[in-house]
Amino acid sequence: MQAALESVLGELLLGDEPTRTALEQLCQERGIAAPDTAALLESFERLLVYRELTRGNLREAIELSIPRSMARLGPLFDEYFARFLSERAPRTHYLRDVTTELLDFCEPLWAADPRIPGYLPELARHESLHIEVSALPSLPRGHVPAALQLEQGVELGAALRLARYRHAVHELPDTALDRSEPSRRELALLVYRSPEHEVRYLELSALAGHIVERLVAGDSLGDAVRGAAQQLGSELTEAVLASAAALLADLAERGVVWGPKA
Amino acid sequence: MTPLPEPAADAPSKLGGVGLGLRWEFLEDIVDGPALPLDFLEVSPENYMRRGGYYPAQLEQLVGRYPLVTHGLTLSIGASVEPDAAYLGELRCEIARTRSPFHSDHLCFSSAGPRALHELLPLKHCAQTVARVADRVRRVQDALGVPFALENITYYMHPGQPELSELELIHGVLERSGAGLLLDVNNVYVNSLNHGFDAHAFIRGLDLSRVVEIHVAGHSRRPSGLVLDTHGAPLVDPVLELLAYTLERSGPRPVLLERDNHIPPLSELLAEVRALRAVYDASLPRWEASHASSA
Repeated sequence: MQAALESVLGELLLGDEPTRTALEQLCQERGIAAPDTAALLESFERLLVYRELTRGNLREAIELSIPRSMARLGPLFDEYFARFLSERAPRTHYLRDVTTELLDFCEPLWAADPRIPGYLPELARHESLHIEVSALPSLPRGHVPAALQLEQGVELGAALRLARYRHAVHELPDTALDRSEPSRRELALLVYRSPEHEVRYLELSALAGHIVERLVAGDSLGDAVRGAAQQLGSELTEAVLASAAALLADLAERGVVWGPKA
Repeated sequence: MTPLPEPAADAPSKLGGVGLGLRWEFLEDIVDGPALPLDFLEVSPENYMRRGGYYPAQLEQLVGRYPLVTHGLTLSIGASVEPDAAYLGELRCEIARTRSPFHSDHLCFSSAGPRALHELLPLKHCAQTVARVADRVRRVQDALGVPFALENITYYMHPGQPELSELELIHGVLERSGAGLLLDVNNVYVNSLNHGFDAHAFIRGLDLSRVVEIHVAGHSRRPSGLVLDTHGAPLVDPVLELLAYTLERSGPRPVLLERDNHIPPLSELLAEVRALRAVYDASLPRWEASHASSA
């Protein structure tokens, strides 16, 4: 009975706008006994209250995370929110993670929808990164401060994400009323949590972006710098090494680089 | 496999007095401010579990300054499927971190298969529910390593034809599982308005010896007449009166003020806590008097 009831209520709360007829049919399909179906139909208006509360809670959690993207999407957000609830639905125990689940579901759909501006998925992901990075688990800082070694990896603060955008969405005004469009530019943005728990953003040069990407993937420092230079068609010149050294010094000062990997 | 943490040896064995549900809106005020007249704080563990950053760091500073107790939202104890083992493992860690003497969640379901609904939905009042939930409570209690309590929820409809009363459902689960009862007096009051029963008779019908904590909160009424358990308004006199009625019969139990929406400044919440303490202090002599006369 409970599994059938969950199936019916899940559909009723998350699916298309229900009618009494649809509820009755759903109960029959899911094997709900006739007296229970009759009681559910009698409570139809109260079931709609639960539908409103459920959707309201989830919408509110998402709005806390991506208010500017939601404002720009307008009714399109409601359309995709409804599809997300109906076709996928949240799986997480944590309301703070619902936006990430929504974006994972929507991004491929948005990419194929000509009504959605090309920069919008990036703006939504950029907004959601704030809560995501603010909440990333911290790793215990067990390393011993020491000089970085080329043959070793680099211990980076765990609370970071490297975002790659094709639009400068991070430069858009921080208001839901704004409708200006971001400039088009390939960029790498490091989003990290400072030792004071503030979420901070650092736009990286192409070289720095590749180095950080490789360090995050576990490359040794030497391989990361060499590989990053190769990606840009460059030799390992003095200038490249100087840029890499400056990057690592800056990241260490920001609390992102902790030291050599053990 | 990493061994699960043991419950804190120095956890308070029981709570008492009047406490407040800890919310992010005033977390900093409590952490940075002077000691407040609060006997304990209740924590929503999902807000601090499986994450790092500012909020867990702030909570850490309260451990030892106030007794903390955890009250969860997403266990979905009545669902058709077992609770997620990873969630239970994280929850056990959070309970140990906060040194909570027990953990509570709601007598409801909040998931549909893999879908997390994030809403407390009523279970069918029937023998099958009693058996399923009671079995699960025992397993959850083992997994968490601390005593477990269930809260009576607000429900706006019953999902199907009830075969038991709400009291029979609650008692059935508690007796079969050994769980405690987190008695939400506001939920009793709201349900009494929405379903037309006598809230005092409901309290008299409960086995109050099982109550480990009492919740009170505000609610709101819709134009349709339906009363919603919003936790978004100040306490009303009938709820305070029902609390007094309960305490006079239960004896001393920790009482908690919950506020989740339209959260006012902390000073206003502390004024409500003072009002609760007055009710608490006035009720206990009456309980003692009746206790003495019946002894």
